[in-house]
Amino acid sequence: MDFELYEIIQAFGDGLMKGSTYALMGIGFTLIFGVMQKINMSFAAVSISGAYASLAASILFPEVHVFVVFGASIIFSGMIGYFVYLCCFKWIPLANPLATLMATIGMLFFLEEVVVHATNGMPLPYPAMPFDEYFEFGQYSVRGDLVLIFFMCLIATAVLMYLLYRTRLGIATRAVAQQPIAARLSGISIEKTNAGTFIITGLLGGLAGAMIASTVSVLSVLFFLPVTVKGLIVAVIGGLGSIPGAIVAGLLVGGIEEVALLLRGILERDIYIMVLLFLFLTLRPGGIFSKTFQRN
Amino acid sequence: MEFYLGLIQIFGVHTIIGLSAYVILLTGQVTMAQAGLVSVGAYASAMLTAMYGWHIVPSVLVGGAAGMVMAVLVGFPALRVKGLIFVIATLAFGEFIRLFWFNFIFQVERGGELVGPNSSDGFRMIRYFPENGWSTWGVAAFIWFWAIIIMAAIWWMDRSRAGSVLRAVGEDEVAAQSVGINLTAVKVSAFAASGLIAGVAGSLYAHYTTHIEQENFTVLLATFAIAYPLLGGLRNIWGTLIAVIFIQGILTEVLRFMGDWRNLLYGILIVLAMNFRPHGLIDANLTDRLKRMFGLRKSSNDART
Repeated sequence: MDFELYEIIQAFGDGLMKGSTYALMGIGFTLIFGVMQKINMSFAAVSISGAYASLAASILFPEVHVFVVFGASIIFSGMIGYFVYLCCFKWIPLANPLATLMATIGMLFFLEEVVVHATNGMPLPYPAMPFDEYFEFGQYSVRGDLVLIFFMCLIATAVLMYLLYRTRLGIATRAVAQQPIAARLSGISIEKTNAGTFIITGLLGGLAGAMIASTVSVLSVLFFLPVTVKGLIVAVIGGLGSIPGAIVAGLLVGGIEEVALLLRGILERDIYIMVLLFLFLTLRPGGIFSKTFQRN
Repeated sequence: MEFYLGLIQIFGVHTIIGLSAYVILLTGQVTMAQAGLVSVGAYASAMLTAMYGWHIVPSVLVGGAAGMVMAVLVGFPALRVKGLIFVIATLAFGEFIRLFWFNFIFQVERGGELVGPNSSDGFRMIRYFPENGWSTWGVAAFIWFWAIIIMAAIWWMDRSRAGSVLRAVGEDEVAAQSVGINLTAVKVSAFAASGLIAGVAGSLYAHYTTHIEQENFTVLLATFAIAYPLLGGLRNIWGTLIAVIFIQGILTEVLRFMGDWRNLLYGILIVLAMNFRPHGLIDANLTDRLKRMFGLRKSSNDART
């Protein structure tokens, strides 16, 4: 089992591209945490369900373009995100953190079971990126579809940043995140902002779900829990609440995962991601970009 | 009859699993590590009886100890962070343990056959009870023997200083710290106790099912572990017991005719319960009212949270 250095670099590069979808996942978890100080455990399930809904739509209308399917995934996922907000946040007292957490876990299993029911648990083919060229750079090669996915995720992040920092909705969202009472006193509706955050993260998750499915051209119920766990890990490594942290952590996790896959095989791959998380928890509990370590 | 005894065994093991999460939930932390800790106890004790021919009682104790050691090892790094990051850390830890069993192969020859954990095939032939001629009655009684010891211990702890300390940390960490409670020590010891209980539950589980594999210990089991006390309420241990009987008895067995549709109910049930009774089935109001009904307390003015 000898590997050349360039093979490892190649794997890391591929993983970096795939990691952009994990980055979107991490951003989704982190954004809801930043705004509501809550974790929406069903976020990844919402994303994958959105991708499933778009797949159902593409079966009903077989002649539409792949990008329309991706677009449908984004929209469906936004709708499911709002549904989760209604079921798990709107009527539960937010002062009780255990109840909302438990409710979103219940939602995660509910969405998973709905999909299992609809598909009988069988994996289904998902449209891949219509772009299967290879770019060669000496020893290295880059998969064209991964580049496309990488750029779509970059664009999504850029749009999100624009929304958060240049629009009134974004200002309201950040105001609620920083100081809910002051935000309410200046006339911002906290309920509307929270619901808006859920829809935005849902839209983002829909893109991530579609991209995750299209990198491997398959959609399976087995995605629900691993993607949830990985998205949460990315959010924690990036420092919960930090969007730049989630982006870097997502890429890092993607890269390390691919290298672990090359060196140690599929069975052990995820173990190294957990080890990475525990390293971060012990050495840098505040995440990648934390300046100081605050205890309690 | 066998069927009902089997059900009683399931109730016993799941009550112990629920109580292991109850101890941590009292300190206000949500843990998703229970499935991992249960699996440590299960594999450790099953290896002792099936591979080395130990007696069941010491193996259950060693299984519990293994769970406790593992909980302390994880507790120190994980409890440095609090709240929601702790949830994710424990979730990742549970998955880590599961993946470890997924890769773990360690077999010895016993009676002409290879026995032991075998990666994704799981650990077959944990035949301590059948080999030693235990009846289903005996097994059920054995499981409830441990369940009652643990319930009594937690019931007593709830009434002692230790219980008050745990609840104080759960209600308000800053206030607890300011009266001189060492938060890390309290949380790590709660986690250790929880690991011990989870290890015992795992040992019993491994022996009555006779076959364990990593798929038994997924996030679903971890969710059930915290769902029992949260649905039942954290006022006392009876809430956990009632939730176990409700989920494992009514949802799983009585509704068996619904087939696969039943699985949808678990998620809906948790969502609905959290919407309508966010503090669990048996919350402060209900215990108060029950106590007044039986004349145990005069007024409803005291001790309401």
